[in-house]
Formats: sequence, C-alpha cells, structure tokens
Amino acid sequence: MSSGDKELLELLERSGAELYTLLTRLTLREDVAEELMQDLFIKLKKAGGAARAANLDAYARRAAINLAFDWRRTRRRAVLRFGNIAEPVAVGTSPLGKMIRSEEMQETLNAIGRLKKAAREVLVMRYIQQQSYDDIARQTGKTSHQVRAMCSRSIRRLRDVLGSNHSQSAAKEIKNVHNK
Amino acid sequence: MSTINEDRIRERLEALSKAEPAKEATDRAMEKVRDVLKAENEASPKHSLRLPPANGGASPTLRLMKLAAAAVLMIGLGYLGGRLSAPKPLDAEQLRAEIESSIRASLEPAIRQDLIEEMDARRDSAFAAGSAELKEEFQQKVRRDLVDFAEQTLAYADDRMDRRLADLARQFYAARVQDRQRTAEGFQYLESNIGSGLVALAARANELMSTQ
Repeated sequence: MSSGDKELLELLERSGAELYTLLTRLTLREDVAEELMQDLFIKLKKAGGAARAANLDAYARRAAINLAFDWRRTRRRAVLRFGNIAEPVAVGTSPLGKMIRSEEMQETLNAIGRLKKAAREVLVMRYIQQQSYDDIARQTGKTSHQVRAMCSRSIRRLRDVLGSNHSQSAAKEIKNVHNK
Repeated sequence: MSTINEDRIRERLEALSKAEPAKEATDRAMEKVRDVLKAENEASPKHSLRLPPANGGASPTLRLMKLAAAAVLMIGLGYLGGRLSAPKPLDAEQLRAEIESSIRASLEPAIRQDLIEEMDARRDSAFAAGSAELKEEFQQKVRRDLVDFAEQTLAYADDRMDRRLADLARQFYAARVQDRQRTAEGFQYLESNIGSGLVALAARANELMSTQ
C-alpha cells in the first residue's frame, strides 16, 4: 500500500464521519451522501495530488462541497428525506410544516449553489459546518477579516437570490389568480 | 423587492447545520469507502504482473545484429518455401487423367442421384397402375361374396320361417281341439244339471198349485 493510500485511509478514519455529515447536509439524502462519499475518495485517490496537498482535510472538504453542489445542479428536483433534518422550534411538526421546512432547505441550498465557488465554500464552512472564521481562514489561505467579509457578502447575495425567487413565485401566483 | 431577511436566511442555514445522519448510515458509508479503496488498490496496475522490457537492456549494436540475423533467416526461409512450392512442368497424360477423375468425381454423384430418382418415379407409377387393377378386382370379389352370402342367408331364413310357421299352426290346431273338447264337456254338465233342476221345479210348482 502506497503512502497516498495510507493517508487516504487515515483521512477516512479522522474526518470520514464529518465529511459524510457535510454531504448529508448538502444533499439532504443519506443514500446520495454515501455514493458521493465513495466518489470523493476515488477522486482524491485518482487526483494523486491530494497526498501532496498541504491540508488534506481542507482539500477533501472543499472537494466534498463541490461534489454535493454538482449533484444538486444535475438533480434539482431530488426527493427529500425529512427525517434527519433537525426541526426548528418555531415550526410545528405537522406534515405541512415539514413540507414547508424541507422546501425552504432545498431552496436555500439551491441558492447557495448559484454562488461563486469560493463564496459558496466559505458560506458552507461558516454557516453549515459552523467553523470559526480563523479555521476557515487557515483552510482557504485568507485572513480572518477577508473571510468575514466574504461571508457577509455571500449572505447578501443569498438574500438577493432568494428574494428574487420569492418575487418570481409571488408574481406567478398573482398571474394564476388573475387567470382564474 | 426582497421578502426574506438575513436573519431568516441564517435561521435556515442553522437548521441545515443541525441535520445529522444516522450513526449506522455513517458507519456503513465509511465501510463502503474502505471497501472501495481496497478494491481500487487490488485493481491498481502497480500490483499487476509486468513483462520484462522487449529489448532486455541489450546494446544498440547487438540489437542491430539480431535484427540483421532475423532478416537473413526470413529471406532464406522465404526462398526455400518458394522453391518447394513452385509448380512442376505439365504432364498431358496425367492432366487428362486428373481432369477425367475430377469430372467423374463431380458428375458421378449427380448421375447416380438422377438414376435413383427416375427409378423411384417409375416404380411409383407402376405401383399406382397395378394398385388400381387390384382394387377393381378386389371390389368385384367382395361384391360377389356379398351377393352369395345374401342369397344363402335369405334361403336359410325362408326355411326357418316355414318350419316355425308349421309348428305354430300345429300348436294352434291342437289348442283349438282341446278347447272344443272342454266346451263340449261343459255343455254336457250343464244339460244334466239344468234338466234335473227343471223337473224338480215343475214338480214343486205343481204341488203349490194343487194345494191352492
């Protein structure tokens, strides 16, 4: 077994669970996350350069984020599994509440997928993986201040994307009402 | 224009951050990754058998000499093969015999087959004609036999019927005679009994009349 393979196995033992959780959060499906997890490690192995990367964990995390959003792009209308998503206190546990919540999750993730690659990675690391600005800065090779600014800009961009989605859907509903 | 604020977005992101896969699913996923990595290692060309280099590390001069020797060998083999496979001068008698045998070999089966087919056809037609005559003769024979049988049967039946009728007439006559005898006997009895009764009745009537 080569040193690269050993390093990948160590990565799996060290960060496998965390990577799988990240993939589950970004796909909202455990089965897809399982497949993407395998794809991720095959990709890391074939890349070869993964072993030479300064921070293999950060490299794998970024690759996982990109894989998940690639999957989302090719399968926008994936069926959701709601069971593993933590329910916020404000929303009830009724089926309608779950449906609304899951729709919101999908909408938010699709909006994140429309951001630029760097902004998307930072946003995921900060708000979905709940990492500190310093950690993100270390992984991305930026300063903490830059990361903070990127997060702020990403949230604003996200708000614009989601806002325009809402406006479009509202306009569609008004048009439907008028047609009736 | 925006109907969603940043707090709401952060709330959604926080909800996403709380999504956790099941422990079993995580273990299963990691196990599958281990299997995949293991399989990739086993399928890796690093572990496959490799053939030694074709030139075996020989020097260019030696390699050139080997190539020259191989070329000479190939040319020699080609010449030898050409000599051995060259056509011999033609022999007219042998050629005629070969052509004859070849034609015979090619025509004989066809002729044989034609003959067999013609013989089959003739046999079939002869059999068909003979079969028609036999059939006619057989029908006539059967017809004659049937007529004879019918005549014999009718004669036998007539004889049997005559005898039965004669027996019946005899029995009928005997029964009739017997019946007449019994009737006569009955009349005689009646005559004797009625006569004495009438005498007694007349005597009684005479007595009664005399007393009155």
